Amino acid sequence: MQFIKKYPKAFQWLFLLVIFFALCFAIEVPETYKFIRGQAEFVKDPNQSFYVFLGKEVRYYAFDVFWRLPPLLGWLPIWINDSLFFLMNEWLPMEFWNSDTQTYKTRPLVLQVTREITSIMTFLIELIREILLGGLKTIVAFTSWDWVGSNSWAKMPGLPWTVVAAGSAILAYKLSGKGLAIFAGLVMVYISIFGQWKPSMQTLSFILVAAPLSFVFGLGFGIAAYKSKRVEKALYPILLVMQTMPQYAVLVPALVLFGVGDHAAVIITMIVAVPPMILLTLLGLRAVPPEVIEAGRMSGCNNWQLMFKVLIPTARRDILIGVNQVIMVCFSMAVISAFIGAKGLGFNLLLALNQLNIGLALEAGLCISLIAILLDKMSLAWANKQVDYFGNLTFFERNKNAIFFGVTVLIGIVLAYLGSFFFKQGFNYLFEVPHNKGISTADFWNKGVDWIFDTFFVYIKAFNTWLIVEVLQPMRALYLRMPAVATLVLVVGAGYLIGGIRSALVVCGLTLFIALSPWWDRALVTTYMATFGVIVSCIIGFTVGTLSFQNKHSANFMLGVCDIFQTFPSFVYLIPVMMLFGITDTSVLIAVIVYATIPATRYTIEGLRSVPTALHDAATMSGVNKFQRLTKIEFPLAFPHMMLGLNQTIVFALFMVIIGAFIGTEDLGQYILKALSDKNGAGIGLTLGICVAFIGLIFDNLIRTWVGQRKKHLGID
Amino acid sequence: MIKENFLYKIRELPEFIRQIAGLTILIIFIISSFFVLDVIFGQGDELVKKMKIEEERIAQEKKLSELISKLPSGILVTFDGTNHYKLTDEVYEQVCKATKLIPQRAIMGANFLNFRAHEIYTINGNKIDDTFVKWDKDKKKCFAGFTVSGNNVGVDESVAVSGEALSFLSTGIDTRVYFIKNF
Repeated sequence: MQFIKKYPKAFQWLFLLVIFFALCFAIEVPETYKFIRGQAEFVKDPNQSFYVFLGKEVRYYAFDVFWRLPPLLGWLPIWINDSLFFLMNEWLPMEFWNSDTQTYKTRPLVLQVTREITSIMTFLIELIREILLGGLKTIVAFTSWDWVGSNSWAKMPGLPWTVVAAGSAILAYKLSGKGLAIFAGLVMVYISIFGQWKPSMQTLSFILVAAPLSFVFGLGFGIAAYKSKRVEKALYPILLVMQTMPQYAVLVPALVLFGVGDHAAVIITMIVAVPPMILLTLLGLRAVPPEVIEAGRMSGCNNWQLMFKVLIPTARRDILIGVNQVIMVCFSMAVISAFIGAKGLGFNLLLALNQLNIGLALEAGLCISLIAILLDKMSLAWANKQVDYFGNLTFFERNKNAIFFGVTVLIGIVLAYLGSFFFKQGFNYLFEVPHNKGISTADFWNKGVDWIFDTFFVYIKAFNTWLIVEVLQPMRALYLRMPAVATLVLVVGAGYLIGGIRSALVVCGLTLFIALSPWWDRALVTTYMATFGVIVSCIIGFTVGTLSFQNKHSANFMLGVCDIFQTFPSFVYLIPVMMLFGITDTSVLIAVIVYATIPATRYTIEGLRSVPTALHDAATMSGVNKFQRLTKIEFPLAFPHMMLGLNQTIVFALFMVIIGAFIGTEDLGQYILKALSDKNGAGIGLTLGICVAFIGLIFDNLIRTWVGQRKKHLGID
Repeated sequence: MIKENFLYKIRELPEFIRQIAGLTILIIFIISSFFVLDVIFGQGDELVKKMKIEEERIAQEKKLSELISKLPSGILVTFDGTNHYKLTDEVYEQVCKATKLIPQRAIMGANFLNFRAHEIYTINGNKIDDTFVKWDKDKKKCFAGFTVSGNNVGVDESVAVSGEALSFLSTGIDTRVYFIKNF
């Protein structure tokens, strides 16, 4: 009784755990239960049960309901597919003018709209691609193939790589100074001499279309949400789900609506990149002090002027951080969208990984990472750059960068022209170093991989076997051993204890959606892999973060490392682990750990830094030593912030587990990957994506609620 | 009044008691919901029985396919006097049970001795309605057969052809009936 009075919360948790384990032991594994074969797999078997809902027949292997719930939402993917088919092929047929055949053609409205969007996107991508690399298609779009055929001069020449490299360096210099300029120049030279120019420019052209469009839409929606509560409420659930939705999952419906190619990749990238832009716009606009708004109104601004002359310039920094996020998302999508035919570095990387050519994959991955770091640094420099409104500068001082760029363009063109004489027999290396004609280190890396395998095979295999047999398999078995009712009791009970009945109902709804889908077992496997990754990442992240925090320079260094690692597209993490561990679950888990350690480390450092210095002084005056200060003051106060890091760690881990399906795991990601090559995959892909998003949201809800309460309790809200 | 008093009493209870009571109610609600669902969707012992039969069938099939993978590729016969692989009585029975396919060669061979079947088969584009391979426990022999049906000069006809499966073709992956003795 004393214990209950002293630790009431601990008793409640203990009570919940006792009920959970009692249910686990009371409900036996059905004799006929076989993992994976367990739930509906869309194969017809006389032993399957079935039900019909909304005219859709759902077949599944039935078990004791306490063990696994029947897939009562199994109709959802079929219904989504049918709806998409209906929209694309039957709904609202209308007459549209076909300029090629000069006749009217009947087409369903949605199909026509998607085709129009497709052609606009294709045009924009081709335009930028041909500015960078040269070509004919843009001119053909305004004229015809016949006209271009009869006028051999009519083609976009493309920019020599020297011009783009110098242009990047000048822009970087303008934004941040010498350091970034040298880095920009070196990155461009590296890309060129390693023969990755063409794919890099293909990737860049797709990003240069996706990023500005995402910015415009994100800003527009952000402003609309700021102005209207209704819009904000309507957008909120979408933004929430999109934050935790794996990017893979959105590919499949986009494939159905927009087909395969760069245009579909741009659209899908926009879908993924717009939500962070909306959130950061909203955050920036909300942070504008009311005095500034008052001052604007008092100066006689109308609504339009207030928004564009006062609010947006004041929220400039947050909005530009949004641009930075958009660019980062675009890069991470550069590889993922290669699955639906986007050309460029991502496609080369994917191809190389498919062929298990680690060397080539490493080259392409390095290029993507370098460009991503460069654009990240440039956009952050832009966000932090102060506009000098009062500078009294001469014409040359004001326009020196533009003049330098103009001169560089001229020099670059002259050099490329001279190069056409010098490199008469082969390729004009001063214009473009062709793909596969540059320096390649692929062989070196491939030999390195072989050497690692030959030398360390025994140890790697022993580690692999130990990890899989002793750790992963028992953990997997434990997760799969949880009856549905016990899992639901645990999750809902946790929601109730943390955030009351409201939180309990939210997590109950999210868990039920997954439990009633046909992929509960797969979701458990996904959760087990993510949990393993999160536990190890948190141990590493919290330790490294705490140790780095002890010294100002090491903390800054570690934050810099986190920054760089965070800019790498997630697929890039698979390359080194595949080099070391081959195609195994271990590879995926190590990639998950590396990827998810970043937020854990970052939030630990930032959390510890957020502890007020006054408290440090107070503690020192009270005579506590360093260790006592850390454990008694800094950790308790920083813990809510660190828990937000845990939240991010979970999201990162889930993303990487899903991407790990490419290597061959057996979780939800595997099914999303399968859905990509299935003509009826749109519904399955989307439903699976929602399942993954909901796993993330369950943890998100629990952690955020707890953090909110804890902060209130500590008075740091 | 009584109701108000009751609510007042609940509100007056310590926070800890209210929370644990809430948690208990929530757990009871979840478990009872599962009971309701079990009444609607639960299939009990009948399902277990059904699944067990299926498991046995799968196990049997697995065993047979293991046996087939051990047999040499080529023609397997049940009689002496040829160069082909001679099946023992026991293996003959197992191969018969594992065999599902009757290829066109065996069908055309059997049709040689059945003019009407041959005619319908040819006229209707080599169409076969259904086939069977089964083990006759009493005779201890394997029988195979098929039905051809179709339109023959305006008349719908159907002819069943069957006979003893005297030899099989092992592909290394599966076995097929090689020769049907229908005379």
